[in-house]
Amino acid sequence: MNVNDLIEAYVTDVAVQLPRRQRNDVAFELRALLGEELQAKAQASGRVVDAAMTTDLLRDFGHPDVVAARYRPVLTIIDPVDGYTFVRATVVGLAIIWGAGLLKEVLQPVESGSDLIMALARWWLGTVISSLWWPGVLVSYFAIAAWVRRRWPSTGEWKPRSRYQVTGGRTSMVLAMVGITLGLLVLIDPRGALELFFGTQLAPVAYDALTYTGSFRQLQGPILFVVLLLNIPLMVGVVASGRWSASLRRFELALEVMVCVVMLWTVLDGPVFIAAVSDKFVKVAMLLIIASVLITRGIRLYRRVMPAPDGRVQVHG
Amino acid sequence: MGDTDAFNKLELELRRGVVVLATLSQLRMPRYGYELRQVLADRGMPIEEGTLYPLLRRLETQGVLKSEWKIEDGPPRRYYSLNGDGRKLLKKLTESWQGMNDAMGRLLKED
Repeated sequence: MNVNDLIEAYVTDVAVQLPRRQRNDVAFELRALLGEELQAKAQASGRVVDAAMTTDLLRDFGHPDVVAARYRPVLTIIDPVDGYTFVRATVVGLAIIWGAGLLKEVLQPVESGSDLIMALARWWLGTVISSLWWPGVLVSYFAIAAWVRRRWPSTGEWKPRSRYQVTGGRTSMVLAMVGITLGLLVLIDPRGALELFFGTQLAPVAYDALTYTGSFRQLQGPILFVVLLLNIPLMVGVVASGRWSASLRRFELALEVMVCVVMLWTVLDGPVFIAAVSDKFVKVAMLLIIASVLITRGIRLYRRVMPAPDGRVQVHG
Repeated sequence: MGDTDAFNKLELELRRGVVVLATLSQLRMPRYGYELRQVLADRGMPIEEGTLYPLLRRLETQGVLKSEWKIEDGPPRRYYSLNGDGRKLLKKLTESWQGMNDAMGRLLKED
């Protein structure tokens, strides 16, 4: 390529990325400026302008993509302030999706090498490839958050938040108490709750599906009921004081541990309901509750800050 | 090696902070891109062409520069100069810069 071709190619690669209304004008100006730069360079080096000198000049000028970006205001999709949170949410989310997908495939019977390869192929296509929706959702979320922050700067202001503050205030706690009370009433007699709402209109199989086994009614059922019932005094304590306290938090932790242990015991010990379908359903629900508690606790542990100097403190004087 | 990298990055940050002020300061009178770059370089503030020329357009888009095509002694050239808002901005930035410069002078003065 000769000198003119090189400059034309460069100018075109820059200008084509600019808005149509300024494209030709910038191209005309840039071409003229590059010509002047080139003449000055040739004069300074005592050489005649050639393709090698032109290429050097254009490389020093910058990649056309970079130069084109400099012509326009900076476009930020995800605010730098959200960068690490975005990466963390992406990695953790993908790890959970991929792990759950892999677990699902591993739990299927694998009898030969080809079964394993097929399972991995299903996992790759069905889980890994399709999991790209997750980063997409996060990009959209953070882009909207960045836009809102720029549009209404006051929304991004820092607000002090105490670890003892009740999320949602007393109202949310009272609503939670009502929910737990209703849940406990259903737990006592799910079949009776169904009869209360529908009488005897439903098919007998619906009532049978909510009939406890004798062992659950005698052993885990009462214990689970008592453990869940203990949430009521906890919530009454929070509502009364309007905030959490260290002792209430410890009580909450103890209750969560007890709930998880009793639920795990229930899942592993034997059937809860006589009907297999409802038994499977309630056990999956219990496992989800356990997972939710563990994840929430894990996040709290990860986010815990305990100010302390990193290393020994030297004392002078 | 690490020190050189750190120095280069930090010096680049410092330069980025003053490029706009340096550019505005030399556009009290109309100048075209190459001429402006030469003036800045002659006065001790060389700015890469790939940085300066796009910057002129961005400042114009932001409403602090005006420009027009003119033919004087040579080919057509686009001349840039400060408009009313640009002059106000230059005044404010100059005051800020002088305040910071004085403070930095005091901070960097060896006891």
